[in-house]
Amino acid sequence: MTGNQASVRAARRQDLPGLVHLRVHYLGETAHLEPRLPIAADARARTEQILPVWLGQEERVLLVAEGPAPEGVPAPLVGYATGVLDVRPPLLLHQRVGEVLECYVEPPWRGRGVGARLLDVLGEALRGRGAEVVRAAVPVRNEVALERFRRRGFRPLQWIMDRRLDAV
Amino acid sequence: MEGVPIRNARRGDIPSLLLLWTAMMRETAARDPRLALHPRAAEVMAAHLAAWIQDPQRLVVVAEEGGRLVVGFAIGALVPGDGWREPRRMGQITDAYVVAPRRRQGIARRLVGRLLDLLYEKGVDSVRVAVAAQSPEAHAFWASMGWTDLECVLDQAAPPA
Repeated sequence: MTGNQASVRAARRQDLPGLVHLRVHYLGETAHLEPRLPIAADARARTEQILPVWLGQEERVLLVAEGPAPEGVPAPLVGYATGVLDVRPPLLLHQRVGEVLECYVEPPWRGRGVGARLLDVLGEALRGRGAEVVRAAVPVRNEVALERFRRRGFRPLQWIMDRRLDAV
Repeated sequence: MEGVPIRNARRGDIPSLLLLWTAMMRETAARDPRLALHPRAAEVMAAHLAAWIQDPQRLVVVAEEGGRLVVGFAIGALVPGDGWREPRRMGQITDAYVVAPRRRQGIARRLVGRLLDLLYEKGVDSVRVAVAAQSPEAHAFWASMGWTDLECVLDQAAPPA
């Protein structure tokens, strides 16, 4: 880590409190941008329960980005990313799909390449676990995230469309 | 609206469903090789179809012409949400296809309409479908029925240089 840059590393148990905050921010931001993806009322409590499980899952990669800190002070977490290796039934040629599930950077740290580093490290880790291809589902209203993925070489594969059934 | 009857699929439809599903997937793969079929796809899908026809969480409907020829099908499912966001349960349409000579006759709309009715009856009020990005006609079809883009699935074949 140099100067005021953030560094990316695997998450550790002591990161859990900071990760909970980041994840709730991520879910809240997504809900704000896309009202059709509203955050569940118990999302924080469930995040507190699930993150320790995620840390122990072999198929999952959980990364944090930490900012610089004065000596002796814990570095602040400024972003995180998580993904899993999903081994699918042999319907499509690519069975071993690395899924980027979440990638979030705190707003003051955006535009400094933190998200790109998280995505690169996550993609490398998923490929290291055998992923033939890496995929991510990104809300269409999250233009910042879409652009971040496009810049890392991601290309649209599918549109997820939705419809309310009130009008059936 | 009069037209080709739509009904729930039966075990005897599996060979026809498999032929149509394979044709659909080949059309998709011709537009986008990233969605190419696995060599074992037909065998695996046959087993899926046999299970889905009996699964109350799955809905398989067919359009049958003349009481014997299946010319289209659609498959839906009841699926859990991701747990972090509402809704906790939703509907998903995984497949919808009509053979080329019978398109533009409203058959696909009626297949989808039947699925939506069935999903609504099962208490679902939000339904999603994945549409290949390289199929603008398919996207226009769903959009014409009131479906709107929610997410974009992006794919990275190789790591950035």
